[in-house]
Amino acid sequence: MIQHIDVHAVLQESVSGVYTDLVTRPTGRVVRECIERAMGTAAGDGAVARIDFTRVGCIDYSCADEIVAKLLRTRSGVLVLTGISDGHREAIEPVLAGHRLAVLIERPDGTLEAVGAPDAAVALLDELVARRLAARTPGGTLALTLA
Amino acid sequence: MTRLVEVPAQFDDRSFDQFASAFAAAAKDGERLLFDAHAAEWASPYGLVGLLAAGQAARSSAGGGGGGGGGSAERPLLTAPTHAEVLTYWTRAGFFREAAELFEIHGKVPRVKAAEQSDVLLPVTPVRAAEDVHAVVSNIQQRASAILASELGLDPKATMGFAMALSEACQNIVEHAGTGGWVAVQAYHWRRKLAKRVVVIAVADAGVGFRHSLEPTQSKRFGTRWGDAAALEAALIQGVSRFRDPGRGQGLAGIRRYLARWDGKIAIRSGTARIAIVPKWDDDVPLRDGLPAFPGAQVLIIIPEQGSTKP
Repeated sequence: MIQHIDVHAVLQESVSGVYTDLVTRPTGRVVRECIERAMGTAAGDGAVARIDFTRVGCIDYSCADEIVAKLLRTRSGVLVLTGISDGHREAIEPVLAGHRLAVLIERPDGTLEAVGAPDAAVALLDELVARRLAARTPGGTLALTLA
Repeated sequence: MTRLVEVPAQFDDRSFDQFASAFAAAAKDGERLLFDAHAAEWASPYGLVGLLAAGQAARSSAGGGGGGGGGSAERPLLTAPTHAEVLTYWTRAGFFREAAELFEIHGKVPRVKAAEQSDVLLPVTPVRAAEDVHAVVSNIQQRASAILASELGLDPKATMGFAMALSEACQNIVEHAGTGGWVAVQAYHWRRKLAKRVVVIAVADAGVGFRHSLEPTQSKRFGTRWGDAAALEAALIQGVSRFRDPGRGQGLAGIRRYLARWDGKIAIRSGTARIAIVPKWDDDVPLRDGLPAFPGAQVLIIIPEQGSTKP
């Protein structure tokens, strides 16, 4: 089973019903803690959480660090980011590279890509295949095996 | 007794040291200050937020009872520009809305709303808490998008990076200054230097400054070299932060990446030093030390119109 977490909804409920941007450390901290609580029920090595950034405006470097990097460092399950725009990537990618971390991004067509530090990205994809959480598609790309 | 601080006629980052020098000399004995801007002909966003920071510093120093005058809590004085156009621009840029709390203003200030439509992308806006940064980022995106893409020739994707850079610059105040500050964003045609349009972000506060903020974690590492210049170098070049969290220090590094991509410039002045990442089109000095002391930190970010940027 894949857990779905709507970051825009979390932001609106926990921080501001007005703003759609993930900016500032305090905002990132509150949003991460909400995501952690939601993930807490499905914790475990095999757990997959799909973190959906659709309708999220801007993410700054502080929030990318506070949310994505810290979730990767502290959670044992698999994180898959969806709804990621080029602007979101611009913040997330260098932050993860700086930590030598990588995260999975699910494209709109369902294929997976690992972004962050190159070594960590390769290792992440290999691990995913080894654990049969993802498999090669006929086109040679990777997709989650779970729906 | 009142001490005079002359505001340069052309008030921007280049003339700021002249202003800082006058401020340092006038403020040393704790007397009430008069900021004289009557002859001002032009002020950049950097000049405007810098003047507010000076007012903030003068007011807190007067309220703190320093000097031999018994510690007057009186606000510093400010004579408004006499040129009608200058006065109108300062008003449209939102300067007087903020200045009214800090200064006793002399001169007739026109009743003009802060700009809704113009080259003022973000009027002078106070930044005191994370909530203010949210408001700034939210307000800027729609207005900046059109300017960045159509007038500066930046890829539309660059708008979000611009908002990120703005957010991180403002967060420096919230997280490190120990007091509030101001931000302003403006687009204008920079004839003197580039003969191109530019977008300028200016952020200023009169808080503790980089040296004080980083001292507990960095001063030993630098030893006798420690000072304002070393602190700026540590923050901007080495990406260090006063927080021990390994993810800290991302903000200025992110701004640098964004500016490298769009051939932009950043300069930060704090205390007696100023550091800059200087693009090819500019002839600024990368690091200056021994400048006239000025409290807090003042950040200048310039993004030029894309295309050939001849030095």
